[in-house]
Amino acid sequence: MRFRFQRKYLCIPYFLFLILFVIIPIFFIVFYAFTDGSGQFSFDSVVEFFTTTNKINVLIQSLLFSTLNTIICLLLGYPVAYILASSKLKSSYVIVLLFVMPMWINFVLRTGATRDVLTWIGINGGTNPYLATMIGLVYNYLPFVILPLYTTMLKLDKSQIEAAIDLGCNRVQVFTKSIVPQTIPGVVAAAQMVFMPTMSSYVIPETLSEGKIVLFGNSIYLGFANNQWNSSSFMAVIMLLIIGITMLITRNFTEKDNSKEETKW
Amino acid sequence: MENNYIIELKNVSKIFDDDTIAVDNFNLYVRKGEFITFLGPSGCGKSTTLRMIAGFEFPSKGEILLNGRDISNLPPNKRPINMVFQRYALFPHLDVYDNIAFGLRLKRIPVPKKDKEGNLVLKIDHKKIRELKREYSLIKRNRHLEEDVKEAKLNEIEKKIEQIKSTPTQSYSYTKLSNKEIDKKVARALKIVDLEALEDRDISTLSGGQQQRVAIARAIVNEPEILLLDEPLGALDLKMRKDMQLELKEMHQKLGITFIYVTHDQEEALTMSDTIVVMKDGVIQQIGTPKMIYDEPKNAFVADFIGESNIYNGTMIADKKVRFLDYNFVCLDDYPLNEKVDVVVRPEDIHFVKEEKAMIKGVIANKIFKGMNYQYTIMIGKTEVMVKSTASYEVGSTANLSINPDGIHIMKKDFTTNVYTDAWVNKNNEVMIDDKPFACEITQLVPDSTLDEDGNVVSKDGKHKYNFNDADVVAEIALDKIDVIDNIDSEECEAIGEIVDSIYVGDHYRYILRTENEEDFVFVSPYSYNLNDKLGISVKKEDIKLRLKKEVNEYEI
Amino acid sequence: MVKKILSYSYIYILLLLMYVPILVLIVFSFTNATYIGTWNGFSFDLYVALFESEEIMIAVGNTLIIAVISAVCSTILGTLGAVGGHYLKRKSKAALENINQIPVVNAEIVMALSLVVMFVFIGNMIFGGANLFSFWTLLAGHIVISAPFVYLNVKPKLQQMDPSLYEAALDLGCAPRKALYKVVVPQILPGIFSGFMLAITLSLDDFIVTAFTRGSGLLSGANNIETISTLVQAKIKKGPIPPEMRPLTTIIFIVVLLVVIGITIYRNKGAKHKSLARQKFRARKE
Repeated sequence: MRFRFQRKYLCIPYFLFLILFVIIPIFFIVFYAFTDGSGQFSFDSVVEFFTTTNKINVLIQSLLFSTLNTIICLLLGYPVAYILASSKLKSSYVIVLLFVMPMWINFVLRTGATRDVLTWIGINGGTNPYLATMIGLVYNYLPFVILPLYTTMLKLDKSQIEAAIDLGCNRVQVFTKSIVPQTIPGVVAAAQMVFMPTMSSYVIPETLSEGKIVLFGNSIYLGFANNQWNSSSFMAVIMLLIIGITMLITRNFTEKDNSKEETKW
Repeated sequence: MENNYIIELKNVSKIFDDDTIAVDNFNLYVRKGEFITFLGPSGCGKSTTLRMIAGFEFPSKGEILLNGRDISNLPPNKRPINMVFQRYALFPHLDVYDNIAFGLRLKRIPVPKKDKEGNLVLKIDHKKIRELKREYSLIKRNRHLEEDVKEAKLNEIEKKIEQIKSTPTQSYSYTKLSNKEIDKKVARALKIVDLEALEDRDISTLSGGQQQRVAIARAIVNEPEILLLDEPLGALDLKMRKDMQLELKEMHQKLGITFIYVTHDQEEALTMSDTIVVMKDGVIQQIGTPKMIYDEPKNAFVADFIGESNIYNGTMIADKKVRFLDYNFVCLDDYPLNEKVDVVVRPEDIHFVKEEKAMIKGVIANKIFKGMNYQYTIMIGKTEVMVKSTASYEVGSTANLSINPDGIHIMKKDFTTNVYTDAWVNKNNEVMIDDKPFACEITQLVPDSTLDEDGNVVSKDGKHKYNFNDADVVAEIALDKIDVIDNIDSEECEAIGEIVDSIYVGDHYRYILRTENEEDFVFVSPYSYNLNDKLGISVKKEDIKLRLKKEVNEYEI
Repeated sequence: MVKKILSYSYIYILLLLMYVPILVLIVFSFTNATYIGTWNGFSFDLYVALFESEEIMIAVGNTLIIAVISAVCSTILGTLGAVGGHYLKRKSKAALENINQIPVVNAEIVMALSLVVMFVFIGNMIFGGANLFSFWTLLAGHIVISAPFVYLNVKPKLQQMDPSLYEAALDLGCAPRKALYKVVVPQILPGIFSGFMLAITLSLDDFIVTAFTRGSGLLSGANNIETISTLVQAKIKKGPIPPEMRPLTTIIFIVVLLVVIGITIYRNKGAKHKSLARQKFRARKE
């Protein structure tokens, strides 16, 4: 019976794939987080995580790095996106493309190159681990900030800005009262692109600080490398929780943004 | 073939997964070559019926016969039926030519197989057997069929299979249409729709009217036995629509194929159709020629939906005599004495006469020039009468009116719901019935909409806003949804009236409550009231069903 | 005017800074000095060394094989998922979309670890301690990170599409599957293409998932599969980028540049391309 074929059945392979390789693995992580080496239920990893100052420090350090990186990237990227989006030149699209293009070059290779150049000019990862790592992070995540900001700013309601001017706003007020509120969804999206990935990054801190700075991602990686499944899994669970929380916080903004997008279709 | 019906719908019902009944026990017979129109407000089931004929939906009950053969479960690609879609559904990645040739390229022409000596090859038709087996399993799984009907059908198919298995028939090989033939057919279709020079154009470069023509050409080029048209003119502007109506009608005559047309525009239906099927809530209200439906509407809904009409509550007072507008009119219809009836009078059937011949008198409250004639609103007491006349009279002057017996259409009152055709919405989003405000859910006028703080209705996606202040609506209240309040001084009363009629029907009473303004509320109650009792009524706001008289987009802000 | 010059110079300085590391590698790929900063005269020696380095060639080969295979698989799975999902009822659709969103928002390292934990568990419990890690686990990992993006690229194209197009194709005689491929696929093709490109990029660039889920196989034979990312990571852990990898940067840069230029030109000339196709039709018809 040929007509029994229904279009919705096409998603079955993908659905199964996601369940097998996304959902079930997450259950395994949770399982490992709350068991010990012999597979018995235990809070060992939890206790270990919260009693080892080292691990708490890693968490705090990661949060600080992520926050700082997010702020710096936004501060650097916001003017770029604004200038390019408000420019009447057709070439502005090309400049955005140029900003994004390094993303297509192998990221480990780029990170290595950054370190080598920094070492060459005297910012040695061994002696200045914090500065070197920070530069590496900003260098890597800046393009991720520019793209969402640029697309939001292209959609800026020009008449609203004109209305603000008409109502007597000066340049600063126009910026703070009209442009900034309109670009909030883009800022949130950009921050999302930077904050979590920084926390979980491994290659950048590992390479640029020459192993001196350990972020959350490194910590999980090291646990994995030393076969400490249970404690690594618990850290991954913490990571999942943080992701969940940031998702909930940013949801309102992004949902509004999505609905706007959808009406455009 | 015992009849010349091309398509028959027998007891067809469609119940969707969420238990909404879209089409309820639909029976229709369409003759070959007919131009038939399904007419009704949106959500009346007309499109669902069309989609069942096309094969996009399968009936939950009943059967659809094409030339006497059951096609209820046949997929759309196996039906010799083509459709013109509401928004054309042209393929944007193909140009005009390829859009039109789309169906032709898929067509396979059977050619009788011959062996080397040129004799026809006879074979057992395994393909047909497979098809029958498929049908068999489908019927077997159909939950909605009754057991004995199912049994009979299954037996019939089994017999057929046996017969085919034992008798070899001519076998065919299938070939595609040649490019030359396709070219010829496309050229002819383009000529029919008047688009000869545009075959290489991209769809996106065409105007709405041109796209419409391509859509028609794409359907008729396949030489379907039936052409389905789902509100095909809805997206065109008024002038274009009028032109296309005439052209479609012409095309229908030239092609000689059956057209089934769906619209909510009564004028379109009246202009084009041989037969109109008026639908409401999935139920056929009336089937007939445009003239029949206009002149002899079967009920108040049809009368109100088709053309303009005055609808009044009347009472039969003698044989072929009806009382409404405080006058006893002679009429042609025969109803039992004292029966409450709906009286429909078309505006053009009310005539201005000399004073001495006047049956009813009123004051001209409003006068609008409509090009062909004047449309007057005349107040007789508090009741409005709409009259059309070529003669000009002053606003404020007295109108002497008479109605001929053949202009009075009497209809059995529909005692399933109270229908108020002259209701309107006030600025508080209440519906005014009998000049009394009733709380209602105004958001039902736009599906999935919400109300914002300014009292405007906002569509689901937030793109459209409507203000229904002063909108004319038809309000419906089911008989059992009217609550009676004995204390007429209570604040809960939304209207007050007197019982003018009561009938005991088995286990409950059915009453008619008449207000001061002669508006009737029919309700049912298990309690006994006496004639002339004064009572108050109220209706829960979710129980008032509203329908706009005009298009919803007229209220968009 | 001054403001304009100032703002643009800000952009160009930032842009230049972004390219410094890459440009330095490219410049020093044309000399055979061990360390960047020293110039031993112009030469192509490093290019020769690059192509003679079996290690690097294997990594490049592996990377390309994995990228192509995983992108094809991701594109097929993600597209089918998006098309099927488009026609799901509201609730199941929401479920599919939420699950699809998990790999998008989740940290790569968490995804990678969860896969490893599962593979180890299954290997121990079901296959009696067998090591499951191989090209196949690696492939699964790469599809997990790229297929959701294919889904997200195809979805808007489906939403833009007039839903009655599919019905029109059925009405004109297409069987359901044929209607999908003759009408729906051409409509969503741009989304499929951009999804495929994204899948390729994600796979080429990936380090974490590769490092976690790889096993032996492909060109690496009995050793762990090395990709450009894992190889470079192993090298830079010990010291500066090996000289023979500088030309690799140059080559990657040129390829990326060409692809970007190509795509931009293709997009701009889309309209012209169409009219060409139509001319062909005309010729054939006559």
